[in-house]
Amino acid sequence: MALLRSMPFRLAMGLVALFSVVSLISLAASYVVTQRSFDQAMRADLMQDMAGFRAAPTAAALAALVEAEARETDPARMVLSYSAPGLGHFGNAMIARDDDGYRIVSVTQGNAEIDGRFLSLTASLWGGQLTVARSRGEIDALRDVFLNILALSLVPTILIALSGGLYLARRSARQVRIIGKTLDQLTSGNLAARVGPTRGWSDDLARIGEKLDQMAEAQETSVAAIRQVSSDIAHDLKTPIQRVAVHLDDLLRQDDLPDRAVVLLEKATDQLDGVVSVFHSLLQIAQIETGSPRNQFRAVDLVELARTFCEIYEPSASDKGQHLVFIAPDAPSLRVWGDRNLLGQVLANLIENALRHTDAGARIEVGLRHHGQSICLWVADDGPGIPAVERDRVLRRLYRLDRSRTTPGNGLGLSLVASIAALHQTKAVLLDNGPGLRVEITFAEVQPDPASVPTASAPISAKIEDL
Amino acid sequence: MKLLVVEDDETTGSYIARGLREEGQTVDLVTSGRDALIQATSTTYDVMVVDRMLPEIDGITLVKTLRGAGNKTPVLFLTSLGSVEDRILGLNSGGDDYLVKPFAFGELSARVAALARRPQALEQETILSAGDLSMDLIAREVTRAGQKIDLLPREFALLEHLLRRKGRVQTRTMLLEAIWDISFDPMTNVVETHISRLRAKIDKPFDTELIRTIRGAGYRIDA
Repeated sequence: MALLRSMPFRLAMGLVALFSVVSLISLAASYVVTQRSFDQAMRADLMQDMAGFRAAPTAAALAALVEAEARETDPARMVLSYSAPGLGHFGNAMIARDDDGYRIVSVTQGNAEIDGRFLSLTASLWGGQLTVARSRGEIDALRDVFLNILALSLVPTILIALSGGLYLARRSARQVRIIGKTLDQLTSGNLAARVGPTRGWSDDLARIGEKLDQMAEAQETSVAAIRQVSSDIAHDLKTPIQRVAVHLDDLLRQDDLPDRAVVLLEKATDQLDGVVSVFHSLLQIAQIETGSPRNQFRAVDLVELARTFCEIYEPSASDKGQHLVFIAPDAPSLRVWGDRNLLGQVLANLIENALRHTDAGARIEVGLRHHGQSICLWVADDGPGIPAVERDRVLRRLYRLDRSRTTPGNGLGLSLVASIAALHQTKAVLLDNGPGLRVEITFAEVQPDPASVPTASAPISAKIEDL
Repeated sequence: MKLLVVEDDETTGSYIARGLREEGQTVDLVTSGRDALIQATSTTYDVMVVDRMLPEIDGITLVKTLRGAGNKTPVLFLTSLGSVEDRILGLNSGGDDYLVKPFAFGELSARVAALARRPQALEQETILSAGDLSMDLIAREVTRAGQKIDLLPREFALLEHLLRRKGRVQTRTMLLEAIWDISFDPMTNVVETHISRLRAKIDKPFDTELIRTIRGAGYRIDA
């Protein structure tokens, strides 16, 4: 249980342990001291008793003194026994010795045996033997008194400290949870996430929360500033690109153009399209790397998506004599948390990449594999592949293999795949398909339980419905 | 059709206005959000083409203000950004469609036409036809000149989409959005390959061509 591992609870437990140890030690020490002084007092009493009996002038006088005293003394508290040859036994109890030790048998209470520990003093007086023993019962009872004191002082302390610790632990666990959630949201690109003011008194966690909010505020401001700059750049560059496109289009629409001019204009238009596509991809990668598209994430069925993209590209593939095959998994649908358009872009880029770099007769497979909680999406071809040393580099922006310089493509397709994968908290892995290239991306499956799915804003359809 | 174009860049603005006028539309061109607000509240338009970034009042604020005042004229946003977030912000603020700069004029014109025709939505036709081709949506059968033609499901959807919009150009990106629910433009000309598959079945074996290619724009089945 996380609560039991939390800091306030641990501190409370530590204090309880410390307090208990200190209490135990001090009580034990006072017990030992008290017991010792009781013991000494008892010895002194016995000596004094004995001294009193020693004062008797004759054996008979001693016997009478013992008898008189014994009559008023409970043998359970104090034993008096005097036996002298020829005179007999006097006292309130008899002391016998057998294999188990000494036995005290009461004389006054019908030969009942008396239990308990006694401190005794024996002396030979007037030819007989006098034993005076005092019960240690009071000293033994002292232990129970001390145990009671221990229980009465420790149990409430432990209970109060435990419940206090649990209360504080729950309170701080709530704050830790809020802070953790805010950090997760900030990490996943929701820069507007804040811890917010904490209820109740201000503690360390509340102060951390405040600092965190200040940091998020600063981050949001600077990201907004960066975004403003990049959107300004985008706007400032795209407007002239748009103008060039406009001028080219105006020229192309003129009727009396020589054929050579038309060819040149069309080439220029194609080149401009290339510029636009690089520009657009760079902006898209930059935007993806801010993490902000995560705000739009929802459950996406990869089976449907992969099937759709295979279907979209199938005619293009078969026109070139290539075979594009979809290897469907057992499951009818496999859902991951993401952006449908961006995941579609991944499939499109990987399939286009495979189509572009393989010849007629090549086999291109798009497949899904489901194991445990993860889903592996892969696109594989049996073309020339990518040498192992180059595999990491092709994921970089604008990096192209030497042999690919002549094929179409802007060198951003795979880096866009890599950044979209990173946005989905996964990685595009390039492998040897022996022969060919195999790209695998493993996602965490979205569980059917709606509670495990972060809430998202309502889906927005950008489709044109102009029936 | 009466259209309002709000674009602060004069070259682009006059190009859009000129192109649309050549197609026979009435076009008012303004260069600021403030002028657009005055113009849009004093005149009724069929479609407005609005640049996202405008001096004084930006496009999003303009459209939000108009929507708040009960103006329902369809809006096509023009943007330089084109990110997912940007797109959704545009559509959330009351825009109906979205076009990323730089765009081809054909794309703009086709999307404006699509927006203008939006209100008359639910047509409960069960049989669509063009020339000697007819499509039964219930039996899911296509015949041309009395000959039955077998189409794959997506080919059927593609033909149905074009037939329902007879006389109007459908661009590649519009078809991608409508048939495959994709709002980005793949580099390979995938739409062309699907159209040519469809043509091979419904046009090639016959004398006349139903699906026409409109240069620089898209495809159309004539009414």
